[in-house]
Amino acid sequence: MLQPLVELQHVAKSFGGIHAIKGIDLTIDRGQIVGLVGENGAGKSTIIKLLSGVYPPDQGSIKIDGHETRFASPRDALDAGITTIQQELTGFDHLSIAENMLMGEAWPRRKWGGVDWAALYAEAGRRLTEFGLSLDTHRTLGEMTAAAKQEIAIAGTLARRARLVILDEPTASLTEPEVLRLFSQLRRLRSQGVTIIYVSHRLDEIFELTDRVVVLRDGSLVATHRMAEVDPGRLVRDMVGRPLDQVYPRTRSGDSGPALLELAGLSKAGMFRDVSLTIRAGEIVGLAGLVGAGRSELARAIYGLYRAETGSMGLRGGAWRPAHPRESLKAGLVYVPEERKRHGLVLEHALSDAIGIGFSDRLTRFGLIRPRAQRRRISEAIGRYDIRANDAGQAVVTLSGGNQQKALLARWLERDPQVIILDEPTRGVDVGAKSQIHALVDELAAKGKGVLFISSDLGEIVGMSDRVLVMNRGTIETELRGAEMTAHNVILAASGLYKQDASRETDLARAPDGRPP
Amino acid sequence: MSHIPWEGVRFWRRMPKTVRRRIGFLIVADLAILGFIGWRTAATGTSFADEASRIVPNVTPIVLAGLGLTGIICCGAIDLSIGSILGLAGTVFGILHAREFSPVTCFAACFATAFAVSAYNGLLVRWLRMPAIIVTLAGLAFYRGAALILADVGATGFSEQFTVQRSAYHTPGREHAGLILLTVLAVAFLWETFGKSPRRWLAVGSSEMACRLSGLRPQRLVFQAFVGGGVFLGLAALVEVTNHITIEPARLGLGFELNVIAAVVLGGTSIFGGEGTYVGTALGALFLYLIGPAMLYAGVNEYWRTAVQGGAILAVISIDCALSRRRKLIEELR
Repeated sequence: MLQPLVELQHVAKSFGGIHAIKGIDLTIDRGQIVGLVGENGAGKSTIIKLLSGVYPPDQGSIKIDGHETRFASPRDALDAGITTIQQELTGFDHLSIAENMLMGEAWPRRKWGGVDWAALYAEAGRRLTEFGLSLDTHRTLGEMTAAAKQEIAIAGTLARRARLVILDEPTASLTEPEVLRLFSQLRRLRSQGVTIIYVSHRLDEIFELTDRVVVLRDGSLVATHRMAEVDPGRLVRDMVGRPLDQVYPRTRSGDSGPALLELAGLSKAGMFRDVSLTIRAGEIVGLAGLVGAGRSELARAIYGLYRAETGSMGLRGGAWRPAHPRESLKAGLVYVPEERKRHGLVLEHALSDAIGIGFSDRLTRFGLIRPRAQRRRISEAIGRYDIRANDAGQAVVTLSGGNQQKALLARWLERDPQVIILDEPTRGVDVGAKSQIHALVDELAAKGKGVLFISSDLGEIVGMSDRVLVMNRGTIETELRGAEMTAHNVILAASGLYKQDASRETDLARAPDGRPP
Repeated sequence: MSHIPWEGVRFWRRMPKTVRRRIGFLIVADLAILGFIGWRTAATGTSFADEASRIVPNVTPIVLAGLGLTGIICCGAIDLSIGSILGLAGTVFGILHAREFSPVTCFAACFATAFAVSAYNGLLVRWLRMPAIIVTLAGLAFYRGAALILADVGATGFSEQFTVQRSAYHTPGREHAGLILLTVLAVAFLWETFGKSPRRWLAVGSSEMACRLSGLRPQRLVFQAFVGGGVFLGLAALVEVTNHITIEPARLGLGFELNVIAAVVLGGTSIFGGEGTYVGTALGALFLYLIGPAMLYAGVNEYWRTAVQGGAILAVISIDCALSRRRKLIEELR
């Protein structure tokens, strides 16, 4: 029996007291494609980063070829034959394909010392041909599509005699034919003896491609299966674990009013296609899907950050063609972005300013802000949304994630909007703040607002929503209602497996707690 | 070396489209302006050669310093202190001249000062891990102050300025500027076409993270760019300092960095790093300078010239920044 290529023994890593992975034992054999699956926060990316030398483990050991190894930098991992193709491709857009492939290596030189470009381009071309690609290696990387960039990166790793290739969500931005092509290339790599760790949320891909699958949940290794011996239902049960027993608030009546937001056949190339949906007053509509499915892209189009190419939208009975988010705010539609730090908050500024910015335009006299009225509104909001800060002047960046998120919600909800789009409102938020946000969202619906609730937290989206729309590859393929609304079904639908898989749950008895049957 | 023309073609193809477009525009614009000046000199009976001999010593320092700054800006860094470094190098030259050192010693000291301070900037950026714009903004004031202190301490009876009368001390700037310019340009273009370092600087400016993942050391590459820039800046200082009869430590090179940055950015180098060429910088510096004499020959009101020059810079650069910012915004949202 050959020695396994990689062995993790009792490996643990925590960040600021939170355990990302807790004591994992994992063995990866040579020449296999191993799938790594798990919900968000299960510890997949931590394992990738440990193996690619981004940081070392807190405890435990990593053995390569039976030798204990400690990577001080990504360079060390590369030298050990481990290459990682990141989810967000990092390359040099302004340099040529050849330069990108050979950056970090010695370049061929002429006798007098100059770079031998002809040899450089030929070498890059040779590596691409070996991989079955024919591209002009003079072209700059920036001109290439995401798929081509990925193929170039993989072809580059091969030449570096990589023994282990780690791919992190490689298909998030690829089209169907590009995915098939990637798969055939990965299979060929396997036949050449290369080991591959394939991280994906897409179960259909895991089943099609991998030999073995490793399931992570909450930082622990839950199960490893040989693909021949497992079915999607089993895998999903491993990923989700015991049924969620959390109780979600439900004070709203459940009766929905008139349609507030209507989309018909909305498309934008490369982002989403043929999306139709309706959100009624008093309703929380969940929007689920994998990263790259197009949820946030759709939300931003509704908000007016850019225009959709075809299709139409309607808001509160009228046609809706926003040219700028300003119009959305005027019309009573708000969007609370996913990445509050990058897109949402003014981090260095005082809490009062961060909140007031949302509605100060409504508290003006002769075009000037009325400071006293604004101060009063802000302190009311801080109390009402239970934002825990020393005082209103505290910088937003010093607040906890939960309080930042509540501040962001306070800012927009104080405008009293009719339609609210929440993009991952509880990501990186502690449990207490999370349930407060849930109560807040429920209260909005009870007051007759329409809420589009985007979330990757399965328990939350199933527990909070009146119905769940599941996006897959840019379009809404499945709508789950009533008893169909389970975490299990959402996972299947997000991979496009809902319609054909026998394990889908329609049994009323399995509906999660807190929901009337 | 029969492969050189073909390498030139390769080099051209290697450049991003935006840079190619800019260089094409500048070649046409520079030729047009030169043609216009040639036509006017012929029409008015003045000598084009005389005009050219005035242009060369004035444009050379900007081109040379521009080449150095191009490498630095390509890395995503910047050096705002080059005007002050010029002042400091000039002061060293002035003091040594006042103490009757030989011309060659004075030239060498002038070059070495500018080179050393530029490399020191690179070291600071590398060690302090602070943005180059902040480090060199401090340098902008500090080196100017150092020049004044040095002049006060180093030269007995110093007041306001040094006067350099003897022509032996003027040879690089007055007589050899054209030769220095052509030689440096030839070396720079060869380096750009056949060197690896300029490509790695572009890589740092393009994505520091990707550099790290490819096993390169970004901080070290930025430092190298400052050292390389120091060689060019040393030559620029040498030509500029020896072109004047009076050297005023408080004023020599004042605002020089702004002209140079304008030339670099006009030449198609992205102020955010990641793209840029020496060729573009040389053409950009020439364009920026030629607007002056061209307006003179066109009879533009003297009081309007500076504003027109500023307008030209603003127009070209603001379009570029707008394009780049838009692209960044789109990437950010993806």
